[in-house]
Formats: sequence, structure tokens, C-alpha cells
Amino acid sequence: MSRRRRMLKDLDQDIRDHIAIETQENIERGMSPDEARSSALRKFGNVARVREETWEVWSFTWIEQFFTDVCFGVRALRKNPGFAIVAVLTLALGIGANTAIFSVVEGVVLAPLPYPQPDRMVLVQESRPNLAHLDISYPDFQDWQHSVRSFQQMAALTWRDYDLTGPGASAHLNGMEITSGFFSTLGVKLALGRELSPSEDLPHGAPAAVISDRLWRDRFAASPQALGKSIVLDGAVFTVVGVLPPGFRFLTDADIYTSLAQGSPMIYNDRTIHGFAAIARLKPDAKIAQAQSELSAVQENLDRLYPAADQNLGTLILPLKEALVFEVSGILLLILGAVSIVLVIACTNVANLSLARSAARTREFAIRSALGASRARMVRQLLTESVLLALAGGVLGLGLAKLAVSVIVALAPASLPRADNIAVNLPVLLFAFGISLVVGILFGLAPALDSSSVDVQVSLKAGERGSTRAHPRTQSILVIVQMALTLVLLMGSGLLLRTILHLWKVNPGFDRQHVITFKVGLSPSLTKTASSTRTAYRQLLDRIREIPGVQAADFTNVVPLSEHDNGGPFWVGAQQSTSMQDAPHALYFETGPEYLQVMHIPLLQGRFFTPADNSASEPVVVIDSVLAHSYFPDKDPMGQLITVAHWRTARVIGVVGHVKHWGLNDTGAYNPSQIYISFYQLSDEWVPAFARELSVAVRTPLDVATIMPAIRNVVYGTGKDQPVYDVQTMEQIASDSMASQRLSMILLGAFAVLALLLASVGIYGVLSYSVSQRIREIGIRMALGAERRDVLKMIIGQGLQLAVAGLVIGAGVALLLARLISAFSRLLYGVQANDPVTFMAVSLVLVCVSVLACYLPARRASRVDPMAALKYE
Amino acid sequence: MSAHLDILLEVAILLPRMSTKEHNERIELLQGSLDLLILRTLLLGATHGHAIAKMIEYNSEEVLQVEQGSLYPALHRLIKRGWISAEEGTSENNRRAKFYRLTAKGRRQLVVETSKWDKLAGAIARILRPVEQESK
Repeated sequence: MSRRRRMLKDLDQDIRDHIAIETQENIERGMSPDEARSSALRKFGNVARVREETWEVWSFTWIEQFFTDVCFGVRALRKNPGFAIVAVLTLALGIGANTAIFSVVEGVVLAPLPYPQPDRMVLVQESRPNLAHLDISYPDFQDWQHSVRSFQQMAALTWRDYDLTGPGASAHLNGMEITSGFFSTLGVKLALGRELSPSEDLPHGAPAAVISDRLWRDRFAASPQALGKSIVLDGAVFTVVGVLPPGFRFLTDADIYTSLAQGSPMIYNDRTIHGFAAIARLKPDAKIAQAQSELSAVQENLDRLYPAADQNLGTLILPLKEALVFEVSGILLLILGAVSIVLVIACTNVANLSLARSAARTREFAIRSALGASRARMVRQLLTESVLLALAGGVLGLGLAKLAVSVIVALAPASLPRADNIAVNLPVLLFAFGISLVVGILFGLAPALDSSSVDVQVSLKAGERGSTRAHPRTQSILVIVQMALTLVLLMGSGLLLRTILHLWKVNPGFDRQHVITFKVGLSPSLTKTASSTRTAYRQLLDRIREIPGVQAADFTNVVPLSEHDNGGPFWVGAQQSTSMQDAPHALYFETGPEYLQVMHIPLLQGRFFTPADNSASEPVVVIDSVLAHSYFPDKDPMGQLITVAHWRTARVIGVVGHVKHWGLNDTGAYNPSQIYISFYQLSDEWVPAFARELSVAVRTPLDVATIMPAIRNVVYGTGKDQPVYDVQTMEQIASDSMASQRLSMILLGAFAVLALLLASVGIYGVLSYSVSQRIREIGIRMALGAERRDVLKMIIGQGLQLAVAGLVIGAGVALLLARLISAFSRLLYGVQANDPVTFMAVSLVLVCVSVLACYLPARRASRVDPMAALKYE
Repeated sequence: MSAHLDILLEVAILLPRMSTKEHNERIELLQGSLDLLILRTLLLGATHGHAIAKMIEYNSEEVLQVEQGSLYPALHRLIKRGWISAEEGTSENNRRAKFYRLTAKGRRQLVVETSKWDKLAGAIARILRPVEQESK
């Protein structure tokens, strides 16, 4: 027998003995037996409570009480299913929306990278005086690689796509060029074979490839014999040396990994070309600051050794995860803030419902208090009930969250990093559970404290009616808070809506309608030399232009609004007058002669390229209006010389309109100058690198489904090994460039509608309750001659007062938040964060919805029969 | 208003613990000092529950009206802390009763609690004295 049970076994006997002795003593003092016993009982106090308190000393009592509370709570809620259902649904919406957004934040921002010791992974970047983040050059990387002692290992990589022509059907695949040691830097063990060896990571090393699990299953039937087999990429034969574990992913889905040093020698040999990313793993005890100072020291030496290329070049080490999610974490936090507002509104709604309900339960609490229940005990009972409700809401909300997450992932912009990592997983479950507990306690606390402080005598004397106490003050304040918060959300989604409307009206500098772009993997047999590559493209375009319905067609290496960055230095004049890092930068478009007709970019001065501008003729460039204004402010740019880095000095033959490349909300802050170069004038050694990047753009009034079969026919006609891929209309590309605004607007809009719905239910509930409390008063007013219209006005007025109070407070909060929102300046465009039009519009919406919500209870009030109301008591 | 309700009200008034703040604080104060009084009483020798109540009443010249029931949670609390122990025994009128005895640990605790109490009483007295002087 436990000590606890032994101690408690005799308690009842002890108490009985105690009272018996006292009674005996009283009798000895001369009291009658009855009198003696009642006096002894009075002196002892409440036996039941003494017993309970003694039990509590040996307590697991709280657990026992908890189960009693849960059972009682379930019974109480079952007795009032209407309240329970509304409360659970409301909470499910709030918790569901929050859980969904939390799973996005968890998956993208919070979850650690899926590599061993992810905290030690860093990204290494370079920087220029006027640009904080710059890709690195491979020669710089090689110089760092063995000099920074805080790094356990380093690796460089660049994205590349491959045309696979065997084994199996030809396909276009994404992949990466990597240095040997890439996978061991990440800490990833291959499922089969090994990663690229240092000897394979050399310009003339044996061509080797590591392939993904997917490709291995697809092309090698998941056979271990795949190692050592050949794979044909872009016409060259590679040996498969390793297979990655399933699910491996670094930034993007990639199927093929080959040696970086076997890529384009023009790019990896040139210290001035910044086309690579570098990752590193810190040694176990090394700090970023320490690595940074070592790296800076190395780079300072390089700056001195190679002034033409590296002067003023800096380096930057960032935690890998931070670097990946930095851009989106701000927007995600904004959305998380918005969704937590919805939860607060849901909470206040349920708190209001519980207040009304607890008013009806006053008598119950008075009786329990009279029977000896302590205040803490009653608060606990009520909190148990509200936590039960919240947990039920949480379970339902989790279901909603699962649905919402799949919708969000489908809507997420391609630029959202780690989107594949978003799921309803254990941390999300814990979050939903935690938030339910907190919510249950929050919305339960006010009614609990309120109900438990009942005045026993007043409540019991009030008799059977029970609902003597209303909470008009608390309820009104809660409704005002709801209205204010709703206004803030409406304001936010209104601003984003206006932003998107503005963005659609922005003139991007070209006509995005009726343009289709796609890529073609030309057969390796046609692209053996630079001149055969040029010929192959010219012939391909000639055939495409003959297709009925094609108005114009040409290629470009940079599709506007595609986020592709092909920036590079240039100098006005015939000399490289400054170092690379100090030179002005422009975005380079390598195009064919018909490109302007395809895009409808206006020619402002001079001419565009003609077929006569080829490798034999004088090098020429066409510049955009921004470059013309900034670098030739008071002279005619026509005929001037411009020296293009990595190419040659060329004569300006024309000026064209500026194209918004960095998004429709492009304000010209980043690399606004643009230079066009004819693809046919590129030096032979550059042709292979640029040919791989070319997209064909076609202007046609026909839609994609109609024209693409004809185009595919023409392309396939020249050889079966030429995949056509990445087919997109310019409208799609423009629309995708607004994806982050669109997703934010859809989410914020959804939350605003949800908030509006909940808030109108809230104001409806409070007014209905108030009307039911005021029936007698309304009856008297009507008996004294008030018209139905007056009553209607009075009740709606009462509701509107709350709405307007909320509106004013909400406006204040929204103005304060406006500063915060302005910080996300890339999110808003063409509209100020305190835009009066948006404010008026959303206020109007809020007021209209409130009037609607007030109308129902007001109508009920106006239909009160004065006689019935007065007889009611 | 029924007679039934009136009875309930009477009970409610007699109840030692109503949910007002003031009352709760008084209970709080009593609990600590009740422990001290029990320990002090048991210093004179082991005895049973009713006798402890009587001795506290008698020794305080009946100023302290201990609500006798509240003795039992306090006794159990002290047992749990190991300051007193309980054993079967026979009372003066030959009834079987539970006897409570001070343990060595409880004896030490009594010294600590007493000095704490003295400090508290001294401090309160020092605060109250100037007021008394002013009012004279």
C-alpha cells in the first residue's frame, strides 16, 4: 500500500474521532447532545473541504480533477451543441490558417538544411563597390580553396542544362557543373559509386557524371550495373561514376552532375567572369568571422596580384540557409503576422460567445461557489472547457491546414526556395497543438475570471432567470478590436490588389501579347563549330518564319522579365579605361536581327541589326534609352564607341526603348543600362556558351496549342535529337514575375475575407445578445410610441458605433504599420502604404458589411410585440 | 424565493472560504503560522489531533480560535515534509487514536521557523510603533 493511501485510509476515522471527542466535551460542559454535536461540527468546519484539502496534500489530485473537469466539460458542451459547433468551427478556421502558414514558414525558413551539421554550411560570395552580392569567378575560387584554414572543404558549382540523347529517348535535363568534393562538402553519401575524383575534375580528365536516383531508375532500371555505363550529354559521352540517394536536392531538382572544369573554358578560365556559386563547410570549431578574415586576407592579395580583374573586389561569407531564404523570409513573416490577426479575431469571437454563455451560467457558478468550490478551482474548470474546445478546433484546423498547404504550394512562385520542404510534419503538429492550448487559455481566461467572481448572494437571489449579468463593456471592446484588426487586414490586401492592378498597366517597354518563347536543343552534329552553329540557327529561324501565322521570329539569350542576369562591364570609348570592378555595368542581350519586331520594342534612333552585321563586318552595338541618357547626356550616341568586356570595341548604330527586365515594378535601381549585340558577331570561342542560352521568341496571333505542333514539326524535321522545351508565352512570364505579389495578395485577401466574416459574426452575435437582453426596454419604448423604424435605427446605430470606433482605431494601427509595409517596398508598387483611395474603399466595405450584420438583430428588435415584451417578466 | 434557497444562503455565509480576496489572504497567513503552532505544541510530546487543537486554544488564552478542521491538511502537509510522524496510540480515555510526533528534522525546522517568526513580528512591530507614537 502506498504511503499516500495508508495516510488517507484513516483520515475519515480521525475526523469522526475528533468530532466525537469534541461532542463528548461539549456534553460534559452541559450542552444537550444535539447542541453539542452541531457546535462540534461548526467548530470543525467544512468536513468535505478538509478531506479534499488533505487529499490534495498527497496529490495526484490535480490529475484526478483534470479528468473530472474534462468529463464535465464534454458534458457541458454537449448540452449546448450550438455554441460548441460555432466555437469549434471558428477556432478551426483560425488555427487552420495559422498552421498552414506556419508549415510554409517552418519548411522554408525554420527547418534546418537536410545535410549533416547544417549550421556549418556557408555560401561564399564576392562583392563589388556598387553591388553587395556577386557570383564568384572560378580562378578566385581556386586560389581560396586551400588557403582558408577555417574551411574543412569548399566546392563550386554552376547550373547547366543538358540534352540527353542516350540511353533512351532524347530529353532535356537540368543539372549542375560541380567541382570534385561537392557532395562531401555537403556531407551527402552517394547511394552507389563515388563522386567526381580530382583527376576527373580537370579540363582534359575522363568525362564522368553523377546522376540522380530518378534518372538511374528511369534510364538504368535501378541496376547496380549502371556504374561504368555511358551516358550521352550534348553529344559527348560521359561515364556514370555515382548515383545519388533518393530525395537529394541542392536548391533545385537536378539529374546530372558533371565536372565544372570540363565546362566552357571561356568562363571558368576567366578571372573577370563571375558565373559560379561557392559553398563551404566550416571546421567543427570555426566561426564565420574567423573564416571571413582569413578569406579577406587572401582576396586582398588577389586584388593586388590581378588589379585589372580583382581590384576592389570583396568577399562575403553567409550561413547557407540564411542566404537561401533571406529574400522571402520578410514576406513570409508579413503573411504570418496577417494570419495571426485572423487567429486573434477568431479568439475574440469565441471569447464573446463564452462571455454570453457564462452570463447564462451565473447561477451554476454561484451554486458551486456556495458548495465550497474555490475560485481557482472554478477558473480551472472553465479553462479546461475552453482548452477542450480549442483542441477540437485544432484537430479540425489541422485538416484545413493540410488542404490549404497543398493549395499554397501549388500557387507558390517558382522563386520560393525550399518549397518542396513544405509539409504538415511533426513541428507543424506541435505548433498546432501548442497554439490550440494557448488559444484555449487566452479566450477562456476572460470569461473564466469573470464567472468565477460571482457574488453568490446576488446571483442566487436573482432566481431562475440566471442571466442577470451581461458584459456589454467587455463584449463591445472585443468587437471594436475585431473591427480594427479586420480593417488592418483589408487595408493590406487592398494595397496589394492596387499594386497588381498597377503592375498590369505598367508598360514593360515591349508588347507582351502574342509572343511565345521556347528553347531548342540543336543536334550536337549541327553545332560542332561556331560557324556551323550560326548557320544552324539561321536556318532554323528561316524555317520557323515560313510557318503560316508566324509574324516574326528571332532568338535572344535573355528573355525580358525572366530574371536571367547577363550583366557585364563596359566602357565608353575605345579603351578599358578603369578596372573591371569599377566599370559601369549593363545587361547584355545577344539577339538576332528580327528581335525588335518580335518584341515590338521601339527603335528610337538609327537602325537595329541586319543579316549583314556578321563576324566579317564592323562590330556594332545597339543601346537602350537609359544608357544613352546616362552616358551620352549631351551628345549624339550614334557612331560613338563602346568597349564591351570580354568582347571588343563596337560602334553604336542605334538606340532602342528601355525594357523592364527586373520585374514590372523595376525602378531602375539595379543595372538599368542595356546593350544589344548581334549573336552573329560574337567571337567564335563565345558561340558555344551563348548558343546554349538562346531562346526563340515568336510573334504570332495564334495560341500556343495551335502554333507549337507546327513549330515542333519544323524543329524535328532537321533531326530527331532536338528537344523543344520551356515553352512559355510572354504573358505567362510577365504574370510569373508578379508571383510574390500575387501569392501575398491571395493569402492576405483570403485572410481579410475570413476576418471580415468572423468580425461580422462577432458584431451580429453581440447585437443579438444585447437585443435579447433589452426586449423589455424595447417593448416599453414601443409602448410609449417609438416606431419600428426608430428601433431599427437605434440597434443599427449601436452596432455602427462599434464598427466606426474599430475603424478609427484600425486606421491608426494601419498607418503605423504602413511604415513597416513600406520596408517591403518591392511588394508595393504605384501606391503609397497610406493610400487614401484604398482606405476609403476598405472602410466602405467594412461599414456595409457591419450594417448587414447589424440588420438581422435590428429587424428582430423592431418586430418586438410591446405587449408580449412587457408580460415577459 | 423559496425556503430552500435561504438555507443554502446560510450555509454559504458560514462557509469558511468565500471567494473574496481578503479572505484568501487571511487563510494564507494562517496556514504558515498554523504549521509553526503545531510544531511548537508537539515539542511538549506526541499527542492526537483533537488535543493539539485544544492545546493551541488553551495556550493562546483562547485568542486563537483555530478552525479545527484545518488542522488535518496541515498535519498531513507536515508529515509529507517529514517534520512530524504519525503512529497508532491510545488516548487518555482509552480510545484508539493517531498520535503525532515531532521528528528530528521537525525540531530543527521549529528553530528556523521560530526565528523567522520573531524577525517578522519584530519588523512589523517596528513599522507599527512610530504610528502609535504619533497618535499619542
